[in-house]
Amino acid sequence: MGSHRGVFMLAAIVLACALTALNVLADEPKPTPENTIHVQLAAPVPPQRFPKPAKFFVSEVIDRSGNPQPMLVLRNKGGVFLDRQPVQIVRESIEQSLKTADLLAADAASADLVLQIYVFHFGLAQGSGLDYFGKVEFSVMVKNLKTEESQQIQAAGTCIANAAVLKKNIQKNVQANIEGALEDAVRNLVRGTQLREAVASLLKNSASAPATAPSGGVAFERGDRQSELVFTPGFQTR
Amino acid sequence: MRLLAVVLLAALVLAPSVAAKDAEPIYKTIEAKHFTRVEGVELSPAFTDYLYAELRNELAKTKMFTQVIGEGEAVEDADAANSVVVEGVITEYKKGNRAADAIIGYGVGARSIKLDVNVTRRSDHKDLSAIKVHVKTSPRWNEEVMAKAAAHEIAHEIKKGLKEKAKG
Repeated sequence: MGSHRGVFMLAAIVLACALTALNVLADEPKPTPENTIHVQLAAPVPPQRFPKPAKFFVSEVIDRSGNPQPMLVLRNKGGVFLDRQPVQIVRESIEQSLKTADLLAADAASADLVLQIYVFHFGLAQGSGLDYFGKVEFSVMVKNLKTEESQQIQAAGTCIANAAVLKKNIQKNVQANIEGALEDAVRNLVRGTQLREAVASLLKNSASAPATAPSGGVAFERGDRQSELVFTPGFQTR
Repeated sequence: MRLLAVVLLAALVLAPSVAAKDAEPIYKTIEAKHFTRVEGVELSPAFTDYLYAELRNELAKTKMFTQVIGEGEAVEDADAANSVVVEGVITEYKKGNRAADAIIGYGVGARSIKLDVNVTRRSDHKDLSAIKVHVKTSPRWNEEVMAKAAAHEIAHEIKKGLKEKAKG
């Protein structure tokens, strides 16, 4: 009798677990054309003017968010999904912005500096509940392939948009919010003092490196901050 | 009499729109930095991020600045003299007491935060305004609501301080 009761109890627990799992699966939002948003920069962000003109190449964009569903930005109300991976969106945005000022190189070989990007956060973050808090955060490894030197810089963007009740408005606000945060993060990178300092430091080293190498030439460095190099007798100037 | 009524009505209709007309921005840029915190302030790291975002949002609403830039963004040399930087420290945080808030009320058991904020000119780092902000909210609300209230208060005080400074 006791064993029968035990079996019934066990069966009831198994059934409850199975039903809960099914319920959870039923609540899991699925991407459809209706709940998918297209995030992109409204307009490319014009980069700052560097003291030394440099060409950049975006080599890799790596997702370090640890998010198992990077394309799901909002779980409630049937979910809101991105149409592309965040790494792809970040790459496109940075390349687009660099291209406007003709700072984008065609390949790594022709670039002065190579950018390797690690995306730490892309999408919504915890807000007050009264609004949507969009956050895009990444770090960039700026590398000079000639000198093998590199520097890491951070960039982050935030945006706060009003919350909404209707599903259509939720999607619209979430999209505007993430686009705002993305634009802010890209601006923080391409117009940031960190990138300016990294470029100055890495190109200064690359400019001084060949000064010891050229055969038969005498190199000297002018005392200004631009570290302009003049070689004789080849009259090679940089 | 009828003419007077029409004039009065027109004045009533036009007055708010004229008053609501925003003043021209006084400063070119304002850079908000992430606030630091003194030892012993137990707030989540996300709080600082949210406060930073909310402060930028509120500063944009003041319409005193042509652009609210992010932390570490470059400013043209020509604009530096007409640009300001906002830095701050969270000096105290009390998470409050829900029971005291529910039973006694009237601010007892409220969640509170104290901040010291400095506004400096970008070109010469001259102090333009030093603000002390103390915000209290219900302990039932989350930290981010408190950040929202604090950001609103800071932006309001900055606007007030800079306007007074501009008047001389």
